[in-house]
Amino acid sequence: METLTKFHKKPRFYSSLRNSRHRLTPSSTIYNTLSSKEQKMSQSFSNNIGSFNTTNLNFTVTDDRPHILAWLSPLDPKFRHQDIQDRRVENVGEWLLQTAEFRSWYAGREGGESDKAVLFCHGDPGVGKTYIRYH
Amino acid sequence: MGIRGLAKPILGTIDEPQGMEEQGQVLTSRDDSSLVVDNLGDQAGGQNATVTCFYFDFAARSEQSPVHMMGSILKQLVCGQEEIPEEISRAYQDQKNVIGGRGPQLSSITKMLQTTSCKKRTLICIDALDECLVGHRVRILDSLNQILKQSSGTRVFMTGRSHILPEIRRRLAGRITTISISPKTDDIITYLHARLVEDTTPDAMDGALEADILKKIPEDVSEM
Repeated sequence: METLTKFHKKPRFYSSLRNSRHRLTPSSTIYNTLSSKEQKMSQSFSNNIGSFNTTNLNFTVTDDRPHILAWLSPLDPKFRHQDIQDRRVENVGEWLLQTAEFRSWYAGREGGESDKAVLFCHGDPGVGKTYIRYH
Repeated sequence: MGIRGLAKPILGTIDEPQGMEEQGQVLTSRDDSSLVVDNLGDQAGGQNATVTCFYFDFAARSEQSPVHMMGSILKQLVCGQEEIPEEISRAYQDQKNVIGGRGPQLSSITKMLQTTSCKKRTLICIDALDECLVGHRVRILDSLNQILKQSSGTRVFMTGRSHILPEIRRRLAGRITTISISPKTDDIITYLHARLVEDTTPDAMDGALEADILKKIPEDVSEM
């Protein structure tokens, strides 16, 4: 149980880092190393869920992995997605997923001449798209 | 004062959209993006596909350079794999020896994305493309175009204001389909209900006011 508690404390630590306004400059290296580690850890965590009580967690990572991931980009949109997801109201906007455009974009016609691989959802500037607009 | 006027102080103006970041919004493209990302993520789980996302933010526009942005997409793809692809670790090793560890170039990130996205069905979601600097956007769209040329199974979902539509059409000619986002009255009422439940000063609310809110706001919106 102690391990479990420890594990649950970590995300709070990362989120305090995330909230730092200057996360992209001075603390970027630390931040990236940590977030790469966190990803690796949560992967191991979910892979080992069955054997969790046997404390058989495998945290060994190849030394370069976090460095390579940090090298690819210092940005990490995962947290931002979480923020937005938390604010979203259930059932609002679901209609979009039901449109013919969305469905055919998702299904795709691989390699076909008329394959539309990009779906662009747009709204007017200002209050329209950003807040509430209705035709 | 209609909803438009009320919205101003919270949401900022068109020229300063960063005001929007701090407050809850009703039906923005951003909410749609996050909804789409989650929905795709749920579907992808069973399909051996990877969903990646990127949220542009006006306030962070200088940090969100093309190479960092596309690098972030690649990073998310690689995170889903047990092993870092050989091509990527080699590129990393090569750059490590140059001026004390040089960052990747956009062209090499694009190449690595072409290879990596071919191996597995890949979904790329990009939110608020209009909040990215114009010069950055051109390079990002070109990079995406290069990737789509090579990787036919890759899907890109993007949101943004309508004024960038011609530019996107020009850069991604023939690959694009569009949907115009317009919130539905039902959505607005659902949203208002959810926010009223979270009211932090419920004593200031009575039945008449609540009924008024639920009636007037959707009405005002439909007049806009």
